[in-house]
Amino acid sequence: MINILVNEWKGFFRNKLFVFLSLFFLISLCVVTFFGIIQNEKQLEEQKIAQEHIRLQWDQMEPSNPHSAAHFGSYAFKSTSILNSIDEGINAVTGNVLRLEGHKQNDVVFSEASQSLLISKFGKLKPALIFQFIIPLFLIFFSFNSYTSERSNGRLKLLLIQGASLRQIVFSKVFSIWVIGIVLLLASIIVQFVFNSTELSSDTFLRLILLLFTYAIYFFIIVTLTVLLSVIFKNSTAALSVTILIWVIWTIFLPSIIGKTAEEISPLPTRIDFKESMASDRSKGIDGHNPRGDRRQALEKATLEKYNVEKLKDLPINFSGILMQEDEEYGNKVWDKHFGSLYDQLKSQKNIYQISGFVNPFISLQNLSMGTSGTDMYHHLDFLSQAEKYRRVFIKSLNDEYAFGGSKTGQRGWKASNEFFRSVKEFQYQNPTFSSFYSKYIIDFLILLFWVSMLVIFLSFSSRKTLDI
Amino acid sequence: MKMLNIFLYEFKHFIKSKAKLFTYLFFVLACIYSIYNGFNLQNNHLSTIENIQQQDDENISQVVNWFKNGETGPKDRDWIDVTDPYWCMRYSPTYVVKNPSSLLPLGLGQSEQYGYYKKVTIWSSPFDSDIVEEISNYERLINGNIDFSFLILFLLPLLLIILTYNLNGLEKDLKFDNLIAIQTGNSKNWILYRLIFYTTLLLTTVNALIISVVFINNILIADAVDLILLSNLYIFLFIIPFYFIIVFSSSSTSIAFKMISIWLMLCVLIPGSVHQYVSLKYPPNYMTDFLDANRKDTYAVFKLPKEELHHLLMGIYLDLDTTKQGQDSIINRTIVRNTMSAIVNQININAINKIEQQNDSKNDLIIGSYWFNPVSYFQNEWNTLTSTDYNSYKDYRKDIQYAVDNKLELLTFESWDQRKVNSKVYDKYLDKLKSTR
Repeated sequence: MINILVNEWKGFFRNKLFVFLSLFFLISLCVVTFFGIIQNEKQLEEQKIAQEHIRLQWDQMEPSNPHSAAHFGSYAFKSTSILNSIDEGINAVTGNVLRLEGHKQNDVVFSEASQSLLISKFGKLKPALIFQFIIPLFLIFFSFNSYTSERSNGRLKLLLIQGASLRQIVFSKVFSIWVIGIVLLLASIIVQFVFNSTELSSDTFLRLILLLFTYAIYFFIIVTLTVLLSVIFKNSTAALSVTILIWVIWTIFLPSIIGKTAEEISPLPTRIDFKESMASDRSKGIDGHNPRGDRRQALEKATLEKYNVEKLKDLPINFSGILMQEDEEYGNKVWDKHFGSLYDQLKSQKNIYQISGFVNPFISLQNLSMGTSGTDMYHHLDFLSQAEKYRRVFIKSLNDEYAFGGSKTGQRGWKASNEFFRSVKEFQYQNPTFSSFYSKYIIDFLILLFWVSMLVIFLSFSSRKTLDI
Repeated sequence: MKMLNIFLYEFKHFIKSKAKLFTYLFFVLACIYSIYNGFNLQNNHLSTIENIQQQDDENISQVVNWFKNGETGPKDRDWIDVTDPYWCMRYSPTYVVKNPSSLLPLGLGQSEQYGYYKKVTIWSSPFDSDIVEEISNYERLINGNIDFSFLILFLLPLLLIILTYNLNGLEKDLKFDNLIAIQTGNSKNWILYRLIFYTTLLLTTVNALIISVVFINNILIADAVDLILLSNLYIFLFIIPFYFIIVFSSSSTSIAFKMISIWLMLCVLIPGSVHQYVSLKYPPNYMTDFLDANRKDTYAVFKLPKEELHHLLMGIYLDLDTTKQGQDSIINRTIVRNTMSAIVNQININAINKIEQQNDSKNDLIIGSYWFNPVSYFQNEWNTLTSTDYNSYKDYRKDIQYAVDNKLELLTFESWDQRKVNSKVYDKYLDKLKSTR
């Protein structure tokens, strides 16, 4: 089998078009990966500048009322992972800025996609675009007639006479072409290692290995399927037509259609309905800015009892701070209910989408590519979750300062010092490790392995059946 | 062989070729599905807008009822007084909506990247967080919708490849191309006529689908003419190079390979490269100018003394000196503070102009790439015709800004004139608030 493989590669290197295209892709991939890294670094730099700019304003805050500071709030800027340079996933459409303030859980805004005319329907020219759309086509073109041409020029008979089995020949074809895809993958990964060496952690290393593994499996599926169709059809043209059609359906049609279907199975609310139902639930709770509410009266009574005083002005603390925090706590329950249900629906859609990998392995590839690059929905939801957790701690620290920092009820003009504001920690997003997320992607790996097993079985079976050469 | 004969021969070949016929029918079905999707989205937008308008009407009738019953606001909030222009404006929410174009079913464009309704208050701006896109699954957004424009711009060339890659290629594969040359006299014309058959087939299909939407949505055919011309021109963008590929290639495999390469270059690689270059030159904007205006500068305004606020407001509205407050030597703190949102609006406008300028520079770079990036040109032109491109939403942002300006001007003049609002005055307010650019 190794001899057949070596002969295959020799044959490839004698083909000028093959050599030209391989070099073209190799160089393109290195350049594209390099520019992906540069673009990512530039974006991270912009994000850092924005974060520092906003923090400086906070640090320079004059002595102010802590609750006014809660309204002043802060911002969380969505950070990108290092591997965003390979696959930016959903980052271009999610928005980058999240306002963190009192009384509200906001949504992330200002997506890159909304800041210009439409440019590319398939995204930026990053390695993922080449790996997902272009290299599979390249592999299809090099494998669609690998069997039929051997058959038509009589070389197949010659190989069989020399003692090779048809199965060995067919699988040698598959491996010889698959290795080309692997070489291209490795080139991109090596460029990542070289130009990102200082940033690489063990987690990024693991992610890169899994990314390599994922694409390697997908390329194997593409090559095996093409060779299988070539064996079945015994005709290059028919094999090419069907493979191209499958490629179009897998990469262009099905992802959109299945995405749409998942949205119909588990529909999302409209923004206006979502906001109204939250507002309705929110109105049932305490309103820190409404001095008349029933819940406020109850809280007032409980606080007076706790401190064993009869009037608010006799409290050793500032009741307004307690009231504002109570308002927050109620709001948090409302946000948890509504955002929780929204995120559950998004996760349910994602599950449907993942299962559809049994019909379309491209979906599993896309999920794993985004997942290992840290640019998929799970990572986005993690950013939102960390930002919201920070918001709650941030607002509580301000309300606590208002309540217990030294002011008394009714002292609206009381101000917390600049030192206090500077002591409030800023939001630092911790990129999650892959190990904390791996369970979400097992299904995608299993589906890809299922495809590999099925295709290997079919190809073995077909190459046994096609002995009537 | 006469042209008609070649046409008829090609028609028979097409009908008998199961792969080609199936692919063509599959494409037509996908187009119908995409138009159906477009109608769905259009209906969703219309229904949401109708609900918003209904809600707006309910809010208005609530205020009207307060006036009728001699009430000044909600019973549990006795500090609210709608006879004061400030509270009256706060209880007059004006929604600015972007009605979907009647051609929306033919192209969703960037419509899923933006919101299409916005509640305008005296603190609003066109970049507020409530103007973001509808809640949707981001992973679906990156895969896009199967919309009609996508099918024409990206899949129709692939259909064309499947239909034409073996024209002349099959004859060359089977080595009877010389026989064809002898029979037809001029094989280039023979190829041309065969190609014209498929061109006619696709032009007819696409035009018929566009016209069907024209009829369903009761649009004047003239409104869709530009779209028809654009789609037809786009088909020729691929037909012409494909003709030369067919004429000068040696086999069907070679033809298919070259055609696919052209598709990849025009639809994927060039737009992707431009996108990456634009992103390198103009990284995603974190909008710090707007954030500063919205937060730091706004809070700085809150801290200003009434004299300074008075002076700034007089600078924004020069005619304020004709109002009661403008002529009064004593500055009314409440009136001035109730109208200071006009100052914040001015700060927002300055920040927004900067953002729009940055985005315009980015767009100029994209437009500058059209000569070698034709697919992006066709894509954006198509979106312009269906009012779903960046500029349509920029116009919508201008509508929002107009509504904010309008509301603030009304609030400021009425407050400074110390007007007492009643139902008649309120009607006049509503007329003014509903006026558009």
